[in-house]
This record gives sequence, structure tokens and C-alpha cells, in this order.
Amino acid sequence: MTNQNISLVKVRDTVLVTMPADPDDVTVTTFQEDVLGAMEKYRPKGLVLDISGVETFDSFFARTITETSRMVAMMGGQTVITGMHPSVAITATQLGLTLGGILTALTVDRALDLLAHPHPRRRLR
Amino acid sequence: MANKRKLKAATAVNEMKGFDIQAFLAAIVESTDDAIYGKTLEGNILSWNHGAERTYGYSAAEMVGRPVSVLVPPTIIDEVPQILERLKRGERVDHFETLRVKKNGEVIDVSLNVSPVRDASGKIIGASTIARDITEQKKLREALTQRAKDILDISTPVLQVWEGVVVAPFIGTLDTQRAQQFMERLLDRIVETNSSVALLDVTGVPAVDTRTAQHLIETITSVRLLGAQAVLTGVRPAIAQTLAHLGINLADVVTRSSLAAGLRVALDVLHLKISSQDGEA
Repeated sequence: MTNQNISLVKVRDTVLVTMPADPDDVTVTTFQEDVLGAMEKYRPKGLVLDISGVETFDSFFARTITETSRMVAMMGGQTVITGMHPSVAITATQLGLTLGGILTALTVDRALDLLAHPHPRRRLR
Repeated sequence: MANKRKLKAATAVNEMKGFDIQAFLAAIVESTDDAIYGKTLEGNILSWNHGAERTYGYSAAEMVGRPVSVLVPPTIIDEVPQILERLKRGERVDHFETLRVKKNGEVIDVSLNVSPVRDASGKIIGASTIARDITEQKKLREALTQRAKDILDISTPVLQVWEGVVVAPFIGTLDTQRAQQFMERLLDRIVETNSSVALLDVTGVPAVDTRTAQHLIETITSVRLLGAQAVLTGVRPAIAQTLAHLGINLADVVTRSSLAAGLRVALDVLHLKISSQDGEA
């Protein structure tokens, strides 16, 4: 039995969520509920989703992340995904799970920078 | 059956030309470069051609009557009974690559074809072995494999050019294997160097086809998933034309015509600015 605990911490005006290594469907569903609960309770400006520990990434998880980020946006928050492992990124790309439209950052630090200075990459093109 | 066919052909030739077919076949065996020798089912040498003399260094006089195991390195001596066992069951051993020892102690790579020899009644009475020295061939093959690996390694370097910026110059065409390796290396380097911008330079790519473009897009997508930004640089007119004609959508990708222009984008992302020493930009 692997540890399926989601850690959810409020830091200033951001909520930091850390996912376990091998999230199953129940964990993924719980993640969405927990995040929306936190959005209601703390009214943060941003949600940082740290998946640096995640080793398996499936379509349900990908869809839930995309969905949740939209819900978070509706509640006034910006989602940033951080710490995806290279091998996970390759698999996700090959499976077509590209999390379009969601901001990504290498580390939690960068994610917080991104939230402090919103949309730097939108200035490009 | 094959024997019968051979005999028939031999008889026909005999009648036509009137020469000794046995002597003719023996001459073929003698003149070849391959080592050809006969052995009993116990593994004792019965015949030994010139090719065998050249390959192993033993003369026919030295080898006839001796066990074949004198040619086998002690570490793999178990091979001999295994091969003999298969022969007794009437099986052939084809293109078996193994090691043998020459008279002077030198170990060589050989490729063996061993087949059972039957008498007129079909009983297996011995075996014939055709051995070819493939030492050089094998060395070449290994050198080629190594070279291919080297090329794979050197042709996909990932360089950190500034804190937070890596450059990956693409050289040559991208097949699936190279693309995969390149992608892994690039992503690992991005994490290692904590770089938020990766410049993928395609100046050294002669031509882009649909598959190469697909690999590029996959790489760019993976880079984004990691949390970094990929910039495609070195897009020359010819490549831009092909990409447009192939209908490949690079709308979500930042592209620049030169690496220098890409570096400017990278510095922009990092909120950095290059200025001349007298204060002008």
C-alpha cells in the first residue's frame, strides 16, 4: 500500500498541493475536492500543484488537472504545475496528455515567481 | 533425398564429361578459404582441409584422429558435447558464432556451420563442420556499432549558455531513436541546470519532414510540461517553407530565424538585458 496522502498547504495567498507518487483514481478525485475546498476557504490568488514525486501519470489524472485548473480559474485562482519528471513528461506527451493552457514551472520557487508576475510567457510571440 | 538428387546430377555430369566427380568435389573443399573438416560423432577429426590448416595453424597430419576439443577454449569446452548431442539427433547448427583457439594460442572469432553426415542407409555416421574466421569482421562490426553510438552521442549535445538557458543544436536528420534520446537528454539537462528556457536550434538540420517536425513538436511539448519554455531557432527559409507546406501548426511555439534572436527571447524571459559598457542598449 503506497502512501496516497495529498499535502495541501496555504502559503500567503497561494495554496501548495503536493501529489503522492502513484495517485489512484480515488486520490485524484479527492485532490479536486480538496483543492476546491481550499479555494473556498482561503480565497488564494494561485494554486501550485507540485507533481515532482509523481511517477505515473494517466489520462484521468491529466483530465482532472485540466478540469480543476478551469474550476480554480472560475473561483479567481491561477494554477501552475511544477516539478514534472522528465520521463513522466515524455510519456505524457506521447499519450497526448499535454495539459494545454495550464502554466508550468520547473520548481515551486519558479511557480511562485510566475504567480507574482503573471503571464510572462504570454508576452512572447 | 538431397543425396539422391546430388548423385543423379553427378552421374549425369560423369556421363557427359567423363571425369571423377569425387575428385572434383574434393578439389572444391581443398581450394576454399573456409576451414572444412569432418568428425566422428565422438568428436574426433576425420578430415582436415587446407582452409582449416590456414585458419587454425594445425596441419592435417597433426589434427586427423585428435578430438575437436583441442580447438575449443577451456572456458567454453561444454559447447562440444552440446553440439555433438544435437548432431546425433540429426539437427544442424547454423551460423553459430563462437571462439576457437589456434595452434599458436591466439583466440579467434568463428562462425560455424555443423551438419550431420549420413551413410547410404540414412544413419548418422559423423559430421561436417565449415568454420569461417570472422575475427576481423566482428571487430569491424563492433567498431561500426560503437561509431554509430558515438555519432548519436556527439550529434545531440545540450549546452548551458547562460544561467537558465540551454541550447540544443540539432545536426542531421532526426529518426525516432535519435529524437527519443535527444528528448531525454534535453529534459534531464533542463532539470539539472534548472533552466527555464531551452533553445532548439535546427540550423544544422538539412531538411524537415513530417516525422521530424512531429518529434520537434513532441520535444517542445515535453519541455513545456516540465515547466520550461522552448524556442525553436535557426528556422531557415527552406525549413519554414517545408513546415508551412506540410501544414504543421507551430502557432503555440515561439520560433526565431537565428540562434542569436532566440537568445534574445531567452534573456527576455529571464528579465535580463544586455547593454554595452557605455550604457547604451
